[in-house]
Amino acid sequence: MRSRKISFSIIACVFFVFPMILLLLQSVSSPWRFQSEDGFTWQWTSYQKLLQDPMLWEATLTSIVIGYAVLVINFIIGLFTGKALVSSPYKGKAWVEAILLSPILLPVLAIAMGLHLLMIRIGLADTLIGVILLHLVPTVPYSIKIFYNGYNQTGPAMMEQSNILGAGFWTQIFTVELPLLRPAIRSLTFLTIVISLSQYAITAIIGGGRILTLPLVFFPYMENANTSLMAAFSIWFAVIPVTMYIVIELLILLLPYSRLPWRNHR
Amino acid sequence: MNQTTLEIKNMTKNYKSETVLNELSFQLQQGEILSIVGPSGSGKTTLLRVLAGLEEPTNGSIFMYGEEITKQKANKRDISLVFQQPLLFPHMTVMENIVYGAKISKKYKKEKTDALLTAIGMGKYQDHFPSEISGGQQQRTALARAMATEPEVILFDEPFSSLDPSLRQDLRYWVRNFLVKQKTTAIFVTHDMEEAMIMGDKIAVFTEGQFQQIGKAKTLQESPANLLVASFMGGNLILSEEEYISLQEITLSPPTDRKADRIYEATLLHVTYQHARPIAHLHIHSLDEKVSLPLQHEDELQENVTIYIPDSEVRRFHEEGR
Amino acid sequence: MKLFRNKILLLPAFVFLALPFYGFMTAIVQSLGNEEPLSHYWDLLDSDRFLASIAFSIRTAGIATILSIAIGLLLIRSFYKILVQLSPRLRVWIPMLFPHFVWGYMVILLLGESGIFSQIAVVSGWMESQADFPIWTRDRYGIGIIITYVWKEVPLVILLLLPVYSSIRPEYYALVDTLGGNGWNRFTTVELPHLLPVLVESFLIIFSFSLTAYEVPALIGTTFPEMISVLGYEWFYGSSWDDRPLAFASMVSISIFLLILTIIGYTFLNRTRLKAMRGGK
Repeated sequence: MRSRKISFSIIACVFFVFPMILLLLQSVSSPWRFQSEDGFTWQWTSYQKLLQDPMLWEATLTSIVIGYAVLVINFIIGLFTGKALVSSPYKGKAWVEAILLSPILLPVLAIAMGLHLLMIRIGLADTLIGVILLHLVPTVPYSIKIFYNGYNQTGPAMMEQSNILGAGFWTQIFTVELPLLRPAIRSLTFLTIVISLSQYAITAIIGGGRILTLPLVFFPYMENANTSLMAAFSIWFAVIPVTMYIVIELLILLLPYSRLPWRNHR
Repeated sequence: MNQTTLEIKNMTKNYKSETVLNELSFQLQQGEILSIVGPSGSGKTTLLRVLAGLEEPTNGSIFMYGEEITKQKANKRDISLVFQQPLLFPHMTVMENIVYGAKISKKYKKEKTDALLTAIGMGKYQDHFPSEISGGQQQRTALARAMATEPEVILFDEPFSSLDPSLRQDLRYWVRNFLVKQKTTAIFVTHDMEEAMIMGDKIAVFTEGQFQQIGKAKTLQESPANLLVASFMGGNLILSEEEYISLQEITLSPPTDRKADRIYEATLLHVTYQHARPIAHLHIHSLDEKVSLPLQHEDELQENVTIYIPDSEVRRFHEEGR
Repeated sequence: MKLFRNKILLLPAFVFLALPFYGFMTAIVQSLGNEEPLSHYWDLLDSDRFLASIAFSIRTAGIATILSIAIGLLLIRSFYKILVQLSPRLRVWIPMLFPHFVWGYMVILLLGESGIFSQIAVVSGWMESQADFPIWTRDRYGIGIIITYVWKEVPLVILLLLPVYSSIRPEYYALVDTLGGNGWNRFTTVELPHLLPVLVESFLIIFSFSLTAYEVPALIGTTFPEMISVLGYEWFYGSSWDDRPLAFASMVSISIFLLILTIIGYTFLNRTRLKAMRGGK
């Protein structure tokens, strides 16, 4: 067991922790040229340059707005669908589930190309709403899956119990289901935001270049920015979801029966 | 005079083509505890779920104090249900679990929930989470939680079956006393006749979607309404659709004091001992029934035995007692 | 009443489904065009560029998927007891924090021709100059794409398999041991029945994603051969408007391919023997 722990630590550090540290170090150092003995030289200008770019701030704001909007819609659809699936006795549930999850397997690029004409016709091309709608396609199936699993773990009996004790639809959701679904909410938040931040192609197609999100700034940066600046930008890509996640975590604390972290038994 | 708390009229529940509850009718007086006993799969749980409002009956109606509540939703009914599993909310402490229903039903008074907590002997554990207390403690907390909503009726769905036997025994008496002390009207579902007799003022034998008989334990034992009740109660040998005899009246040697009118041949399967007395397990060929009889004399131990039944002791089922 | 409420709750999900299904239907209609039916598909079959691209895409995505699943499975089998704790798990999930293309950039930074490894190789005297360093990014063999996907998807595979391993009751291992089974028997009789559905599902999810995602190959791939998503995107946005139906046709072909693969996967899972292994469900 001990040797296993050591080998795990080595693998985890080399393959998962080390790359991030490398990015961090490169972002606060001038580009490395080891062969000309330019090792680690402290600098801060990459972040200054990055944060002085007005495009970056516009894109960050847009990405955050899109991310949260996508998250909220995912949350509602996932919650309702998970609840409906777990408490429904009817046959054909497997089919409903399969149909709901099937968009995972369709190429999102094909869907975006197909929806492009429709978006133009109904005036949603090049708009924030159009992009938000498209970002739902690669995220909602995962949310449904996550919430369905969460509800399955809680079990319909727990929900019936609260119903018997007098809780109505919404009381039940807020006092029992959401507190017990906390792990599901966390995974969903994280996954949704990162997936939304990862969309270059479909954002470009539906946003028509008018809706500027972080990936749309990142790709052109590749052409002419130096390594330090790119590293700083890469770190920025992790800072955004983490910050957005912390906000959600604070909101989760507002749920009934939340313990302060130091009085947490489970 | 006792008031009728709950009344069920002609209740039927079908799942697809299967009839689970068949034209069920009964009444429950205030403070009365009714045990419903029946084999597993007989629809007992469905009955409780319909009463609690978790499922709608296909037909029939439910009245509480004369008011129809058939269409009322589960969360609006003054009926509580304690499940087989305690189903405490894992994210709430013992106290929060008890207070939960009371607050939602707007019946929360601190003195009352405190009293309940003391009554179930969990005062010391009020800030513990369900994962930190034992199965028996969990089930007691679940009971207190159900009581805290001040229901008119509490339904129990085999609440002790997930506990180990010694704990089950203790908890039975505890719950029974608790319900009597609180003057609670309750329905108690079980598949165990002994448990049914301990818990209920009256016992309802429930099979095939119907009550076969409702009455006190003594009545059920002494004058079963039909062979289903008689075989469920045990202690009887069923002779035909209409007739049975108590095992006490059967002898393995010709009785000296009276005439033995019927004689059956039987095979001895096995001998066991109970309270230091030998018990013979017999198979009666012509009836294809197995019975267990206490042996009077050791010399009755043969492979093939003869059973003597006096006509005077043969009873007929009291169908009118239904 | 209950059933009714359930259906209402399913409504948002089905409204959402209109988006992908409408989009996909439009793509099919567009790919058929106004001329003789299927003409664009015949054009595709005549296009060497398309054929090369599709072969390259399937090969690259296939290798990336199989490697991801194999490595993920190996890691979770070796370190399951460690991975149930939170902090080791978080460490493994670090790559999931970054978008795919950012991780692709990380691969360029590390393994590019002037990347950190090539610099170290030269400084340590192992290689004469950076020109000796193998070309692993923007290469003809899709090595950079494969490395990026494997690195990003291994944590996902661990995430998907972790619940499977926690649902296996340890008594079953003891049972196999008492019946005289070895390590291989443990894997095939205890773990595999639980794993198989999740493995097939993971394969389909990762394969369809890496086959059709645009970002990573656009960043770290080369122009020939190119991944089908890059080719489709180019046809969609290319100089000539005439190529658009080809973009639709290529995307629809790849979707149909994925659909057939999914059907094969689920038919395989539903074979009666496997059903019985899962407890007859």
